[in-house]
Amino acid sequence: MLDKPASALRIRERLIASERLMEETGCYDGITELQLRNQDPLKFETLHTKLRAYCVSAREMARRISASPGVREVGEMVVAIYTPEGDAIALSNGIMVHVHTMSRFIKWMIRNGYEENPQILDGDIFANNDAFIGTVQVPDVMDVVPIFHSGKLVGWAGAVCHELEAGGITPGGDVALAQERFTEGLFVCAEKVGQNDELRRDYVIRCERNLRMPIYWVLDEKAKVASCIDMRESVKALIDEIGLDYWMQVSKEFIEEGRRAQLARTRQLTVPGIYRGHTFYGHVTKGKPGYQPLGDPDWLYNMPIEMEITTDGKIIMDFEGTQPWGYHSMNCTPAGMDGGMFVTLTQHMNFEGLVNDGAWMATELKLPHGTWTNPDNEMVATATSWALLLPAYGVFQRLLSRSFIGRGFVEEAFVGQVNSPMIEMGGTSQYGKLFGMAHFECAAAGSGALAIKDGLDTAYVGWNPESDMGNIEIWEQNMPMIYIGRSIVPNSGGAGKYRGGCAFLSTWLVSKTDHLRLVTSEHSSRVFDNGGMCGGYPAPTCQKHRAVRDSNIFELAEKRAPLAHHTGTNPHRSELEVRLQGEHVTMEGPYITAPHKTGDVFTHSYNGGGGYGDVLERDPVKTAWDVENGFLTREAAEGIFGIMLDEDEDGYPVANLDATKRHRSEMRAARLAKARPVSEWIAAERGRVEKADFAPEVKKMYASAIKLSSRFTREFSDFWNVDAKSIFMPGAKP
Amino acid sequence: MTSYSKEVIADLVAGTLPWPQTRRVMSAYKDDDRFFKYVAVLQDRVGWKDPILLPVSDHLFICQSGDERVTKCECGHSFGDYRKNWKLKAAIIVRNTEESLREIYPNSDIPDPQWMEIREFICPQCGTMHEVEAAAPGYPIVHDFQPDLEGFYREWLGKPL
Repeated sequence: MLDKPASALRIRERLIASERLMEETGCYDGITELQLRNQDPLKFETLHTKLRAYCVSAREMARRISASPGVREVGEMVVAIYTPEGDAIALSNGIMVHVHTMSRFIKWMIRNGYEENPQILDGDIFANNDAFIGTVQVPDVMDVVPIFHSGKLVGWAGAVCHELEAGGITPGGDVALAQERFTEGLFVCAEKVGQNDELRRDYVIRCERNLRMPIYWVLDEKAKVASCIDMRESVKALIDEIGLDYWMQVSKEFIEEGRRAQLARTRQLTVPGIYRGHTFYGHVTKGKPGYQPLGDPDWLYNMPIEMEITTDGKIIMDFEGTQPWGYHSMNCTPAGMDGGMFVTLTQHMNFEGLVNDGAWMATELKLPHGTWTNPDNEMVATATSWALLLPAYGVFQRLLSRSFIGRGFVEEAFVGQVNSPMIEMGGTSQYGKLFGMAHFECAAAGSGALAIKDGLDTAYVGWNPESDMGNIEIWEQNMPMIYIGRSIVPNSGGAGKYRGGCAFLSTWLVSKTDHLRLVTSEHSSRVFDNGGMCGGYPAPTCQKHRAVRDSNIFELAEKRAPLAHHTGTNPHRSELEVRLQGEHVTMEGPYITAPHKTGDVFTHSYNGGGGYGDVLERDPVKTAWDVENGFLTREAAEGIFGIMLDEDEDGYPVANLDATKRHRSEMRAARLAKARPVSEWIAAERGRVEKADFAPEVKKMYASAIKLSSRFTREFSDFWNVDAKSIFMPGAKP
Repeated sequence: MTSYSKEVIADLVAGTLPWPQTRRVMSAYKDDDRFFKYVAVLQDRVGWKDPILLPVSDHLFICQSGDERVTKCECGHSFGDYRKNWKLKAAIIVRNTEESLREIYPNSDIPDPQWMEIREFICPQCGTMHEVEAAAPGYPIVHDFQPDLEGFYREWLGKPL
């Protein structure tokens, strides 16, 4: 006879009851009054601080168990404590995206009868990386353990690490070439992977035999289990101290307070109304090896977002009008969309007080069925869903920022996150062994500008507020490439009164290998997938790859001749072409080619953030400093910002304020002379719209949006005073 | 309750508040009296008397102009009824050629003008660039913000509009 947990009310019934209570009362779990908080606010706050300390401490401990530079160096991990129903009570810092995705995972197990089979017992370990159950992408592997006290399920402890290798069709974690679920790598679908606080040997063997670099995944599993056990034991000790009844009540009140705090914060910081924005994403794979002909090789997605802030403080985000899911790796599940929302809110609104699932409950996402935000096919790939999530939530940040500007909290206004394309690799390492790795220095892009200052240079990504590019020496230990350059990319921030943060570019020499597969998952250079704000420009589009096969770099080094350490500032002839001989390669979009070998040189550029405000208002003195330090070129200072620079006696740039004033006056006059009324432009452009005189990918984008959204169709038709359906879907029923 | 002087708010808005102090403002509890001080700072900045009701961009404000509520540039140019998209009354420069895009992006790869264009929305009176859209050709101009002005004043600020 097998033991079953003793529980008066089964957790599935409890979950249903909790959701019903929320529906009936509008308050989490029917908590209409924060009784314990009112009784003793100090005790209440102290307890939550303790829980948060448990989480932060457990994560730091776990990072020291991990072998992965992604977790150790860059902090790609988060841990959290949940209610028995799977709602987050407290969380650590790190990749806070996953606090709610883990919540979905726990609820999924409860809803799917895990109490009966495979059972939920003290000491069990459950793992998942299936985005349709609750994560963002395959490499985001999560582990949760139940917390029992006095024979009763009283909560869960959970941890997520982003794995650097997932065993997919291409090496790395964000499997660029995945076009369906079946090529994304090793799936663990809400499985019981351990018992009695120990990972099952057969699970570890499965990992070891299905991954290119199992040490990352397996040691991360151990790190996560250790952190979960640490949190579990801390919570149990806390319950011994405060009593079980108090715990069961206070954990719910923490979440309800989080919900109320989010609503109050929205009322405090924003302005009610409707906010709109959009961005685009272009993908180019035509002729690239490995892509199956399942859909269009080159495509363009529009991402329109409408955000409503209601007078009760609720934030509603609506993605209607966007594109269908596709046979590519960038689709996203509702869990991923939740994650994007959660990590954005924690950065921009929940910077004080309780941060937990309550904040998520004060928001609503409208994700049209059948689109990339909510695919109606669970076989789609989501391995690189960040490629669409990052631009989309960059729009969300700009919409929120518009509300902060309206309300006067200009110091919180932020032009937003950008895509940060990742480089992944595999093959034979410098040690002669099989290896695979995602290079996580991408966790340090340029940020969008703020409304009061320039953006952060090489120091921000949306998914992890603790952005970090990691140390060169650590990365070099883990891959057969050595850095010959890591440098700021001049003018890579969007221009504006406050410029976006600049990006960096790495240049590597492939070393000690005859088989290095390099793969990247990024967007093309065809469109901006970031934006500016209040007159600021978007940052440049994604940069092309530049590489040299069979270079003469060793020969040059032998002669002590200059090497190329970056691509330079001439877009038509890179420094690689100037300095190195060999087979020069320039590639747009995903980099997928034959393996590299020792002596090849490869570059990869990350992205900068969008600018804020009119370029003609930029501070000339700050600009001189930017030119001196390589963030802007002299050419850009004069041509874009109208700032004239002289040189001091040491040859450093100094702003010539009088000449700047004159030049800007001329630029403003030229601007006015060149501009024409918008009404004229619309009248002229309408003819082009009527003829659908657009590139095939643009036409396809309109047709898809019109097919999926009557609202998009109506708005498009009203704006241009045309019948959109007859233009882009001729022959379709009106 | 946190509160700052009008001078501090003025410096913050102008981007001239020293960074250590700005950092403290960012880290502290927010000041509930910010909005009206902010509006007062902006009202001092503009050269006209119409009361500002709500700032909507760096140099664009919804204000009470006689019996009307309009969107107005800092220079005084009116874009008309605040409920309508001010961009439709603006001047525009469209960058949809390699040459015109290269002016803004001199050293980097640039978008394909067949897939994407830049639209600069400019005040026809003073030439201030109020907004930049990056959009596919043919994409409708976006109406960035339709505030619930009545609800904001009545329910959140507790003051009549």
